[in-house]
Amino acid sequence: MDRWRRPGLARGVLGGVAGFAVGALPIVAAAQLGADIKPGHGLALGYIGAQVGWLLGLGALRFWTAWALGRAADPVDQAAAHGRAGDWTRYFRFTTDHKVIGLQYLITSFVLFLTAGLLAMVLRLELAQPGRLMDGDTYNTVMSTHGIVMIVVALIAIVGGLGNYFVPLMIGARDMAFPKVNALSYWLLPPALLLIVANPLLGGFDTGWTAYPPLSQQANLGQQAFILTFITLGVSSIISAVNFLVTVARMRAPGMSLTRMPIFVWALTVTTSIVLVATSVVAAGMTMLLFDRLLGTAFFRPSAGGDPILFQHLFWFYSHPAVYVMAVPAFGAVLEVVPVFARKPLFAYRLAVLSFIGIGVLSFMVWAHHMFVSGMADYFHIPIMITTELISVPTGIVFLSALGTIWLGRIRFATPMLWVFGFLWNFVIGGITGVFLADVPTDLALSDTYFVVAHFHYTIVGGMVYGLFAGTYYWFPKITGRLMDERLGRAHFWWFTLAFNATFLPMFWLGLQGMRRRVADYPADLADVNLWTSVASSTIALSTLVFLVNAIRSWARGPKASANPWRAHTLEWQVASPPPVENFEHLPTVTAGPYEYGVSASGPVIRPGGATGH
Amino acid sequence: MTARRDLAVAVAIWAVLSAIGVVVVLGTQILPVIASREAEVVNGAFVMLTVASVPILMLVVVPSAYSAIRFRASDDDETDGPPIHGHRAFEAGWVVVSLVLVIGLAAFGTIGLLEIRGGPDADLEVRAESTQWAWEFAYPDLGVRSKELVLPVDRRVRITIVSDDVLHSFYVPAFGIKQDAVPGRVTYLHVTPTVTGTYGAQCAELCGLGHTKMVAGVAVLELSEFEAWVAEQQPQQP
Ligand SMILES: [Cu+2]
Ligand SMILES: [Cu+2]
Repeated sequence: MDRWRRPGLARGVLGGVAGFAVGALPIVAAAQLGADIKPGHGLALGYIGAQVGWLLGLGALRFWTAWALGRAADPVDQAAAHGRAGDWTRYFRFTTDHKVIGLQYLITSFVLFLTAGLLAMVLRLELAQPGRLMDGDTYNTVMSTHGIVMIVVALIAIVGGLGNYFVPLMIGARDMAFPKVNALSYWLLPPALLLIVANPLLGGFDTGWTAYPPLSQQANLGQQAFILTFITLGVSSIISAVNFLVTVARMRAPGMSLTRMPIFVWALTVTTSIVLVATSVVAAGMTMLLFDRLLGTAFFRPSAGGDPILFQHLFWFYSHPAVYVMAVPAFGAVLEVVPVFARKPLFAYRLAVLSFIGIGVLSFMVWAHHMFVSGMADYFHIPIMITTELISVPTGIVFLSALGTIWLGRIRFATPMLWVFGFLWNFVIGGITGVFLADVPTDLALSDTYFVVAHFHYTIVGGMVYGLFAGTYYWFPKITGRLMDERLGRAHFWWFTLAFNATFLPMFWLGLQGMRRRVADYPADLADVNLWTSVASSTIALSTLVFLVNAIRSWARGPKASANPWRAHTLEWQVASPPPVENFEHLPTVTAGPYEYGVSASGPVIRPGGATGH
Repeated sequence: MTARRDLAVAVAIWAVLSAIGVVVVLGTQILPVIASREAEVVNGAFVMLTVASVPILMLVVVPSAYSAIRFRASDDDETDGPPIHGHRAFEAGWVVVSLVLVIGLAAFGTIGLLEIRGGPDADLEVRAESTQWAWEFAYPDLGVRSKELVLPVDRRVRITIVSDDVLHSFYVPAFGIKQDAVPGRVTYLHVTPTVTGTYGAQCAELCGLGHTKMVAGVAVLELSEFEAWVAEQQPQQP
């Protein structure tokens, strides 16, 4: 029974259950006394109690509670929280090592990716033929859950996963600036993710991931699971964003000037700046929605003078920038990989950095392109159309940088580089079709049709997922100390690319025929294309199995990787694979830029400082 | 110089493929049905954007594919490429060209928007009333209500859109446009049907359980037929 006495998963779960009971108790009592109580009240307070109990039981708050109680810090406990190399239990407890947290995010994202992918299979099963298989509520719940879970994946996989793992390594730091806050940002998520995945047990919800009121005000209790998850994710991303920004500002190794910062670190810097500014806006919107449901407020309730369109403004003021929270880290990963496999310096590095910043700034001025048919004032369409189309200029610079780097290069087509090319070909389709949605006349036809579905899958899969796989194949040897199988990697790439395009390219056509998004049925003349799309989508799932097999097999018994198998110049490759617990025995001194390929003939030009002399 | 020749060859391939692409696009019907003046404007915008898209797509596809073939090194080659960090004039050119392109597109978009949303007064007013999960159409000046939207051809119609519960969206694919219904507000769109026939209206904004089935018929009739239909619908004179 020792495990109950020490902080950890078991006690966290126990704490969560107890916390839920404590939180929900006053509500049950009030109901007994005849107050006008809804199940939602119990869920809201119970959830808050469960989060607190979970974090307490897990030991996530123990350093801060000790401080608040005036106890001296326990250095043994602090060191234990950092974890020892080779100790697998550190992945299942409150561990402060950024590499452990990065992997926790990465694996969590992948599990969610598979879950939401399976839900997509269910959707495509319903849509394979005209007519209905499941009832409308089930379909809407599956569709909505697929949407929000995939959004979570897209938001956390690169930033939380690869970002946490590699930003400290790439800037020559031993950890993030606030390791405990970093761990907290991860451990806030499991209860929220459990809640959203379990939302069908609460009746599900039928609003899609956009949760527009008034529908979201009348939707089932599952809607509230959605709101609580959304707010929790917001809290987690805000504290994580602060951590990234402080880390990049304060923890860079000597000589790591801003212009020597790897492009991936720049991408994360811009991304987390967006997160920091935008997230509280949507959290406020979601909280107002929660209050409308539970406390009788009428922020968005038209019958009592509220305005449902206000919610759309608050929602998209975050959720459009969120698209760049997904895409910019992928741009960073892609541009990080390109120079290594083209053996050339990153083309137009400074302009690429400026383009990230430009995307970050412009991303706040385009949100209403989601609202061209919402009923907002006509004149407002024009500035939003202009800014939305303007953002394609900095986005185009990402292509300039990648193409300029491969041009005249000495290209090696290892698996990571294949995903870079896949990114270029697929994301460009997402970008170009985005202009059709930014342009008001065409958007009046396309808005809320399958064209939109096709478009955002090309941007999020073509952008974010391709960047994620480029980064994962690239950094896998560093993370695991083992090489991945190149043949399976290539098979995964080609299979996934063909299956993805076979699935989503026809959806542009479906949208042009007027097929609405988020419907469970369609006219018979669209049957053939829908059947094709359904069959093709199942092959995407199969291709992911190739990756899964490759990753697990290589991790277990792939060939050992050297410290720097790709002969890259950035700092993470100057330490062992996998890196030791505190990354650098001696903090490195950086003497050159990260992409000086062809300038210094023999490999890395950034050496650890001090006397170790690897 | 071979680098210059590579550039010339790639540019030539780009130009040829772009030209072929534009020809293909111009021969393709983009919107399947164009049954209103507004849909004509929308379709014009589609053609313009699709034509502009082709050279942009090729700008990514051609250099990447060309590089993949031409600049591929063998796996045991350990040499680096030339240390080119950038090219000021080329970078500036890329930015300026994309800026000009974007401003041009936005200008065309604005003109299209003014054509669709602005314009003269309507000849007929119809009220599209949405509710979970059905449409009903009222003709306030004619004293008619109908489950089907019936319109005279070549008459400019103002459709005001209301909802008494959640958001819906009035969408007739053949007319090329849609507009959300917002409880507590009155939204509108203008449409001038140009081709007689029967079409479909659908709800395009997710509105819950019956969203999929929230559709209605649309009929565009000759003016005389329309007047006959109105007379038939109007309450009988005592
Ligand atoms: Cu957007
Ligand atoms: Cu509806």
